[in-house]
Amino acid sequence: MNLPNFFFADLPPEATLSPTLIAAACDTLKRNRVKYLLPRKTEDIVKILCEVATEWLQPENQFRKLALELGPAETGFSKPILEKGLDGFFCQFTPDNFHALLKQELGHAQRLDQFVAGDDDNLNRTAMVHGPEFIVHVAAGNLPNPALMSLTLGLLTRSAQFMKCASGAALMPRLFAHSIYQIDPKLGACLEIAEWRGGNHELENELFAHADCLTATGSDETLAAIRARLPARVRLLSYGQRVSFGFVTREVLREETIGEIVSRAADDVIAWDQHGCLSPHCFYVEERGAVESDKFAQLLAVELAKRESTEPRGKISVEESATIASRRAIYETIAAHRADAKIWSSQNSTAWTVVFEHDVRFQFSCLNRFIYVKPVPDVAAVLPGVDEIRGKVSTVGIAAPPEKMKELALRFARWGATRICPLGQMQNPPLTWRHDGRPALGDLITWTDFEL
Amino acid sequence: MNPELSQFAARLRELIQGRDAALRCPCPAGRNQRGFASNFPSPDAALGDGDGAARHPYHDSEFNSLALELFGLQFKFNPAYRKICEARKLTPDVVEHWTQIPAVPTATFKELELTSFTPEERTAIFHSSGTTEQIPSRHFHNAESLAVYEASLWSWFQLHFGNEGELVFLTPNQNAAPHSSLVHMFETVRQKFGLPESAFTGNISGDGTWVLDFTATIKKLNSACDLKVPLTLLGTAFSFVHLLDYLAENNLQFCLPKNSRAMETGGYKNRSRVMSKAELHQLIKLRLGVSRVHCEYGMSELSSQAYEQEVRRFDFPSWARVQIISPETNREVAEGETGIIRVFDLANVFSVAAIQTEDLGVRRGDGFELIGRAQLAEPRGCSLMTA
Repeated sequence: MNLPNFFFADLPPEATLSPTLIAAACDTLKRNRVKYLLPRKTEDIVKILCEVATEWLQPENQFRKLALELGPAETGFSKPILEKGLDGFFCQFTPDNFHALLKQELGHAQRLDQFVAGDDDNLNRTAMVHGPEFIVHVAAGNLPNPALMSLTLGLLTRSAQFMKCASGAALMPRLFAHSIYQIDPKLGACLEIAEWRGGNHELENELFAHADCLTATGSDETLAAIRARLPARVRLLSYGQRVSFGFVTREVLREETIGEIVSRAADDVIAWDQHGCLSPHCFYVEERGAVESDKFAQLLAVELAKRESTEPRGKISVEESATIASRRAIYETIAAHRADAKIWSSQNSTAWTVVFEHDVRFQFSCLNRFIYVKPVPDVAAVLPGVDEIRGKVSTVGIAAPPEKMKELALRFARWGATRICPLGQMQNPPLTWRHDGRPALGDLITWTDFEL
Repeated sequence: MNPELSQFAARLRELIQGRDAALRCPCPAGRNQRGFASNFPSPDAALGDGDGAARHPYHDSEFNSLALELFGLQFKFNPAYRKICEARKLTPDVVEHWTQIPAVPTATFKELELTSFTPEERTAIFHSSGTTEQIPSRHFHNAESLAVYEASLWSWFQLHFGNEGELVFLTPNQNAAPHSSLVHMFETVRQKFGLPESAFTGNISGDGTWVLDFTATIKKLNSACDLKVPLTLLGTAFSFVHLLDYLAENNLQFCLPKNSRAMETGGYKNRSRVMSKAELHQLIKLRLGVSRVHCEYGMSELSSQAYEQEVRRFDFPSWARVQIISPETNREVAEGETGIIRVFDLANVFSVAAIQTEDLGVRRGDGFELIGRAQLAEPRGCSLMTA
């Protein structure tokens, strides 16, 4: 890869980072922010971000090409899956979408630039917002989009940013940062991307000491360890492990619609090979539809087999593969003993697995396209089944007739889901998505009220 | 008791013990007449070197015919297993080689009654020892199956550790832990060695976990040093960690007499801090002054064990065979590749001989290198019971 050495992550593997280097980088980032980022208007930054995204969507774009060429080996996702995931992300970078995001989060799209009165403010008060001086991101390694979104939000808040990637997971943030640098080197100079195995206290303590705000994505243990080591003045935005599931009502289980529903369910299973918090572990499917729930499972298996030829699952480790094989063996045994349990799986590979079982309890999938289909009499039966993951659920993907969607959404919202979307869109949240139910920009910024 | 299986068990025991006798009597005739290797064309080559390097001492066809015979019996007399075979369409009339015999995952021992014993015939039961599972594995036994288990474990143990000397078992005794297959093995060994009950220095704590009686253990260590008798310490990895931590805290270090050894087995099961094998072995050698640390690989679902014969290579005795299976293709991997450890243990006469573990290993000749446990394989709370 012929990329210039702009970032720590560009350095050859033998180059070692030191606290001194980290400290120097933090100081430079903060200086560059004052010179290059603070004076910029939101509109400018949005324009640049949209340009960057437009570039990424071009087949000939060098960063896109590198991502698709090196991505499969570096990230473990196949080329079609990376392509789909990145396209779904970058196509949302439009001025309108950014405007909607700023309006949603700040009440007014210019609030980061100047004092403005909000719609509901009385004439005697205006307000503006400021981002943190320096954001440190501790990015998880599972999929690229959340890391790219964190950098995007940090640019909008005019913050200097240092992203620490998990070891082996720096490729996408690095390419994204380079693509920003190419369009606007001054903005690029306010970003740093580095990669090391988490838990390197020497480097991390230095980095954390410079931060005003730290965003961290990872397991609950990782987050607790970071929290314990963070200076008290640093604001921590932590995104722990979340799980998601789908719900299909009997009204859409008809011969005319089943093809579409199954295809959308497959979209959610294959997106990022089920690795994100937004990916479904289970589909709860209502019984007594014109197409029965076990038929749905069988058709989903057929669809996953078909998708394997066009959008194959990425390469997985022998440990992950063994986990799937072991779990399949258990379900094959269950299926041999229970007429109401079934399993469909790819031959001569662990590419996909569908398990159909009459057990309403939520089951954690071993991922990599291993999906449970669980028949339920109605939505009321789902809630006790998912009770033990209450508060840990990100997305509920629903397939239902339009008139029923609202009622179901209300039910899952009151129960504690933070995002409800149509089936097929689970891994494709909009730019305005409130991550884990928290404001996207709102948690980063600080307000200044100006009372006249 | 099923007469056909009983007859098979008796025959297998004789074969195992015959091999055992053959090993003690170096005359080739002895092996040919009585041992497992009776049909093997070249018994001298087959038995390997004096250090017990295991090579399969009999022709594949002999193992194969025994395995197919046992499969036929287990299919006939073990209803839970028969259902699995039928679902996979691998029944005795189509299976031609032991490698095709359906293997059952160890996890299915938790809820299915994988046994040919009637409920009245089950006089003993071994449970798996994991702490994270709600339901432990259940391997049913009675006097007949235990006799096969004892013949199997003793024959292979003896080949590695001899049959006399001073042993200390860092586990509770059999009265305290009647459902542990490991403790049953140690008790069998203790009796064969003619050691007192006090050879066990572990206890069961109030919450059911295994703890070590440090005073009793230290006394054994001191006594071995005083009498200059080589000592072999046997226990789980976590019990060794407990002992090493205690020695470190109390600034104790032993230099056990020459030829003293240790044998460790099993994982940590959240019962102690985790350390790498290399680190554990190094610490055992350092703190206890033993010259060699052996590793054992066993589980409650099996009736035979594998020992690490060479560095990074475990071998089962000749009546159990291991295959390293690719999780992707479900076929045996090539030499040096990693896969799931599957064991075909003829000594599992009354349960199921073909066992698919949840462990990963690298294929090393007829043996394997142990890598570790596959993560999260078992779904939570899965129920195998008929709805």
